Amino acid sequence: MGRIWPFHGGVHPPENKQQSNQPAIVTMRVPKQLVLPLNQHIGAPAKCLLEVGTKVLKGQLIASAQGFVSANIHAPSSGTITAIEERTLPHPSALVGPCIVIDTDGQEQWIDHAGIDPLSVDKGELLQCIRSAGITGMGGAGFPSAVKLQAKTQINMLIINAAECEPYITADDRLIREYSEQIIAGIQIIRQLLNQPACIIGIEDNKAEAIAILSQALTGIDGIEVAVIPTKYPSGGEKQLIQILTGQQVPHGGIPADLGLVCHNVGTAKAIADAVLLGQPLISRVTTVTGKAAAKAGNYQVLIGTQVSDLMAFAEVDLASTSRLVMGGPMMGFTLTDHQVSVVKSTNCILASSALELAPVADHHACIRCGQCEVVCPAELLPQQLFWFAKAEEFDKAQSHNLADCIECGACAWVCPSQIPLVQYYRFAKGRVKTLHAETQLAEHARLRFETREQRLIDDKLAKEEKRKARAVAAAAAQAAKRAANPDAEDPIAAALARVNQQKQAPATSVTAEPPEDAYKALKTAAAITRTKLKKSSKALSDALASGHDQVESLQTTVDQLTLKANAAQAALSAYETKLGLDPEHEKQLQVAAAKAGVVVRKLEKSLAIAEDAATIEAQIVTAKTAHATANQALEAYQHKSTALQQQTQES
Amino acid sequence: MQSLYFAIMVLALLALVFGAILGFAAIRFKVDGDPIVDQIDNLLPQTQCGQCGHPGCRPYAEAIANGEAINHCPPGGESTIKALADLLDVEAIPLDEEHGTEAVRTIAYIREDECIGCTKCIQACPVDAILGAAKQMHTVIVDECTGCDLCVEPCPVDCIDMLPIEVTPASWHWQPPTDIIATSNHAHHAAPQGDVSHG
Repeated sequence: MGRIWPFHGGVHPPENKQQSNQPAIVTMRVPKQLVLPLNQHIGAPAKCLLEVGTKVLKGQLIASAQGFVSANIHAPSSGTITAIEERTLPHPSALVGPCIVIDTDGQEQWIDHAGIDPLSVDKGELLQCIRSAGITGMGGAGFPSAVKLQAKTQINMLIINAAECEPYITADDRLIREYSEQIIAGIQIIRQLLNQPACIIGIEDNKAEAIAILSQALTGIDGIEVAVIPTKYPSGGEKQLIQILTGQQVPHGGIPADLGLVCHNVGTAKAIADAVLLGQPLISRVTTVTGKAAAKAGNYQVLIGTQVSDLMAFAEVDLASTSRLVMGGPMMGFTLTDHQVSVVKSTNCILASSALELAPVADHHACIRCGQCEVVCPAELLPQQLFWFAKAEEFDKAQSHNLADCIECGACAWVCPSQIPLVQYYRFAKGRVKTLHAETQLAEHARLRFETREQRLIDDKLAKEEKRKARAVAAAAAQAAKRAANPDAEDPIAAALARVNQQKQAPATSVTAEPPEDAYKALKTAAAITRTKLKKSSKALSDALASGHDQVESLQTTVDQLTLKANAAQAALSAYETKLGLDPEHEKQLQVAAAKAGVVVRKLEKSLAIAEDAATIEAQIVTAKTAHATANQALEAYQHKSTALQQQTQES
Repeated sequence: MQSLYFAIMVLALLALVFGAILGFAAIRFKVDGDPIVDQIDNLLPQTQCGQCGHPGCRPYAEAIANGEAINHCPPGGESTIKALADLLDVEAIPLDEEHGTEAVRTIAYIREDECIGCTKCIQACPVDAILGAAKQMHTVIVDECTGCDLCVEPCPVDCIDMLPIEVTPASWHWQPPTDIIATSNHAHHAAPQGDVSHG
């Protein structure tokens, strides 16, 4: 036997194993109903293959593994699938999850199955056999075994965990005593898969009978040795057992395979032997039922999916004296609130404890900083510090104190004189760390998607603009081609531009080609109308202001608008006049001059009739007439010129 | 006198050498962009909901870098405020209720038989988490949804529900123990008492 190394900490709780390790394993009768959760293992849940109403045989595949880390589920007994529904899961959360419900027919009719000779097949086939049998770690965690057997690194040592360090549990103890041959056969299969590494079976010295049987069974077998280790909780922890047997520590965040080691439970070894040699999938397991409330404490061969209530009835558990029903051991198990949950592949113990055995959940006291927890911590952490950080929700500090390395063994809580539920704090902190990490990843993912979307929108906009420009260029090219083909045709764009320019130059010219005189008149009228309106509104406004009318504001707005309009009309008129070269002042002056000359002529003619000095007056009349004619001519010429101008403008 | 010149020369030489080192470092280790904005942005929940009054998380990160209050992010809640306070070395202040209250994280679900296929929610979604086409039924890709609420308002037939995320055994986590400090003297001898399953 090789050397044994110590590990830090650990506790010695009362073992309480003698209650259940005396009687032989009893095969439990087939219950009326089996409930099989689709996720009994670590990894992705299995996918149900059959429909409600399907008849199944014992050992028939009913749900297949999804993905690499997953496990098949088989019908543990023959019967009919009566439901695929949500049932309470054997989980500390007591949440529901999808389960296959089988009503058994009691026939126990096996599906055709046959074992294979492990020595005559290659590794791939052997591995496939173990994989399809749905074998998961039987020690408690439930990790699919085939994944562990497919290690990529060179495995130098196989460690078989038979320590069973947790109080009360004796399932592995009884299994070794009764099935040592099968266990050794299973170990040989595992060794074959891992290229024949050396194998050590680690077993605590409180199982003297099991050690004796195992040693005897191993006589004449090379490469497998039994290492008896001192009884101390939690020596059965994977990392602790590795340290005890090899002196090596699994690195932070690493797995045993990093050290060239792989660790399997004795129960797993037996399940592998059954799967390979007999062709039987994992459909039942040995579960300890113990505690003061159990009249028939012992180990039972239980079909997977058996309801805990059925098992309790079979083991004659007195429900009245059961203060707490725990699935798993007293250190690492969890309290069941609902008895209608299933025994699953990793259920190694049902502890029906009386009030004297497990104290009911007690109020806890303040931490007195005694440091006991640090002394017993097998992972060499600082439980007290972790407790404070978890309590204060300082998760980053808890992480930097290696919260992730806590194996949740409960040694610290067990020694705590203040009865602080330390592990629950660590589990809470671990959960929050996990949630926060997941949230950070989600946020990062969302940010990426958001940025991608923004970029896409910008790109779309640019692409649209690009396309629009390309279309414009293409249209221009098409036009140019058209023009080149027909050079005499008037360029429509140039024509349109000319029209626009013309309109710009003559903004007052109405589109309906009015005669120029009319246009001028219309402008004049418009200007006059607006002026009048403005006057009226201004008057109304001043009246309103005077009488304090409440519509002052709206009137004011109207007046402002009209002022603008009037100004615009006036401006349009002036612009038109200026353009035509018309000068209303000049015209007026000419008119006045002509009228004056006419008046003078008429006066003089009168005077001629009266006066006798005809000669003088006649001369004067001639002069006046000439002046009148000149004035009239000037006026006529002016008016003629303006009309001609207006016509010209209109034509152009 | 000579020693004085010597000292000045040495100091001048040192100044030159260190200046050269600093100048080199300034070019060699130049940091592009504004790292503080990136750091703030990394702490924000990236729901892109706009409840802070900015069109997305990054604009708010820039606003914080320019002195805006750190308590305008309801989806982030107290934990984000705490993280921002730690980063910026300012005091953590309670969430500004004006911008909303901290609620459980929700996910949008479209009642698919009521959807008329208007694509308005698709345009509103800042993370492209809604799938559909014009006059076709739309649906939310729940894994991508940030629960920002922005799709609810544009829906003309009100067929989008914001539902809290369901807790599954995989996502469930332990709650902290109820913090009761015992006052009476409990006996502590019945073994084993280290049962950790106080839940």
